[in-house]
Amino acid sequence: MSDVSVIVTVVERPEPLEALYREYAAVLASCGRSYEFVFVAHPYFHEMLEPLRALERAGEPVRVIESPRSIGETALLRMGLADARGSLVVTLPAYRQVQPQAVCELLAAVDAGADLAVARRWPRIDSSVNRMQALALHLTAGRLANGTLHDVACGVRAARTEVLRDIPLYGDFARFLPLLAIYNGFNVTEVASPQHTSDVKRRIYGAGVYVRRAIDILGLYFLLRFTEKPLRFFGLIGAVLAGTGGIALAVMFVQRIFGQPLGNRPLMLLAVLLATLGVQAIALGLVGEMIVHFNASRRRSYRLREPEAK
Amino acid sequence: MMQTEQPALSIVVPMYNEEESVGPLVDAVRDALNGAPSWELVLVDDGSRDSTVKIAEALAKADPRVVVLQLARNYGQTQAMQAGFDRARGRIVVSMDGDLQNDPRDIPLLVAKLEEGYDLVAGYRMRRQDKVVTRKIPSWVANRIIIWLTGVRIRDNGCSLKAYRRELLDQLHLYSDMHRFLPALAAATANARIAEVSVRHHARRFGVSKYGLSRIAKLLADLLTIKMIATFRENPLAMFGLGALASGVAAMGFLAAWLTSFVQRADPLDVAPMNAYVFPGSALLCIALAVFLTMLGLIAEEALQKVRAEDQIEQLDLRMART
Repeated sequence: MSDVSVIVTVVERPEPLEALYREYAAVLASCGRSYEFVFVAHPYFHEMLEPLRALERAGEPVRVIESPRSIGETALLRMGLADARGSLVVTLPAYRQVQPQAVCELLAAVDAGADLAVARRWPRIDSSVNRMQALALHLTAGRLANGTLHDVACGVRAARTEVLRDIPLYGDFARFLPLLAIYNGFNVTEVASPQHTSDVKRRIYGAGVYVRRAIDILGLYFLLRFTEKPLRFFGLIGAVLAGTGGIALAVMFVQRIFGQPLGNRPLMLLAVLLATLGVQAIALGLVGEMIVHFNASRRRSYRLREPEAK
Repeated sequence: MMQTEQPALSIVVPMYNEEESVGPLVDAVRDALNGAPSWELVLVDDGSRDSTVKIAEALAKADPRVVVLQLARNYGQTQAMQAGFDRARGRIVVSMDGDLQNDPRDIPLLVAKLEEGYDLVAGYRMRRQDKVVTRKIPSWVANRIIIWLTGVRIRDNGCSLKAYRRELLDQLHLYSDMHRFLPALAAATANARIAEVSVRHHARRFGVSKYGLSRIAKLLADLLTIKMIATFRENPLAMFGLGALASGVAAMGFLAAWLTSFVQRADPLDVAPMNAYVFPGSALLCIALAVFLTMLGLIAEEALQKVRAEDQIEQLDLRMART
């Protein structure tokens, strides 16, 4: 049985996959690991898989899983994980983010006791546009790591297989895997590795990608901070809205008493709108709390650390 | 090492960075329960960064009655307590702070009171040894609000020293920061019988307090939740129905204001153009809110139908345990 399962998700900007395989296979062999590669691919990249299938037929430790329909990186990663046979897993994007040697260091970190080891592209030689995007990501999603991670977007990671299988993965959260791991009480280490030159090219995506990413981060923020206390999230929004509207209404009613008519003040419409929106937010938060309360018997929010010696 | 016999009493102590307190605490518990029926002490480490775990595990090795649980990270006191409750095997479970401010010698008093036929006995700190401004006053205000909102007359919700019947804990499920409202939750959701016993309280000997003052907004949100659960858990639609009703009344008010603005003019059609939309617009917004709340109430009913049925079965268990 092989030691390490390398899961490569082929979902965006893939580089020639056969070369990628040979490069990483050589590195893994150099640090004395037996390995298997699982390529999980989006159907869009069907043609690119042919050389891999040839390798598979030639008896190389390569398996190719092509998703029958269009699914995202998270679902692909889950498929790959289900298929992985090694006791350790390395996840790789289909392009080079760091020097391949990083994989050995990541595996060493896992051997040394980390549940999940994540590469950090450092020193970074990135183009300024990419740096700005990375900074924006770091200042939003990165904050959820409580200052322990510096490059949440790096897809090069190593972990024990059962750790990755224990982390609930859904939606579009695979790219934030280290954050989910921290949230679930796993011990995450960062390993600095020089950025790969092919990762430097400036990347600008369509507007839709940025919108989706922003929604993902908002969802993640809610998931990690407020799953158990939705009212704190919705209540805060609601209190601000309803408070503003309520104060404006109160002021206008007082002015009405002193003779200023209400009916010709469009501000009142705005105040009522804010108040109703605020009440809606709080009501949603209350429903959330009720659902959490009634489901508390079904789930435990803590996870115990396995005793080291029994 | 697994114990075979089931202890009569389990003591659950959440610990976070309490390396100086662990040893004295275990000693104090052992002294206090000397001669008592069989017991176990469950120390729950809440992701401490100091040597709490190491010391606790050494103590557990020396005394099989001491059990150490280790949470994977720092989850908070509520989760630590729940982890301890889940592990505790005694018919009676006592929870207590890990900082030596509670006195284990009070445990037999709580247990005796519980055996008079209560489901939960809460400690009440008589001469509380804490800072007045940052701890005692906020705590007093919070307790007043909790009593007023929930109607559960517990003077000291913040005291961790409490005793519970196993069957009660089986139907309480703590999450978020709910351990502070445990008696209120127990009364509201399990119809628990609750008593108070005055207990000793010591000044902090080691370490620093893990509480701050910056919790008022969170506390308010939690209180609102507790109030809602206490009042409307059987009937969430009623809560949203009331809100919808209030919103509908507001809409009527705006419509009435709109109509009177016609009446007051000499010429009924001579209305300032803004009057034509400010009042009716406000009324429409309120009607929209009423509709929204009604639908939300229906969804809540729908979502909770099944869980509530299971809940009633658990309550039956508690009633049988008391007799």
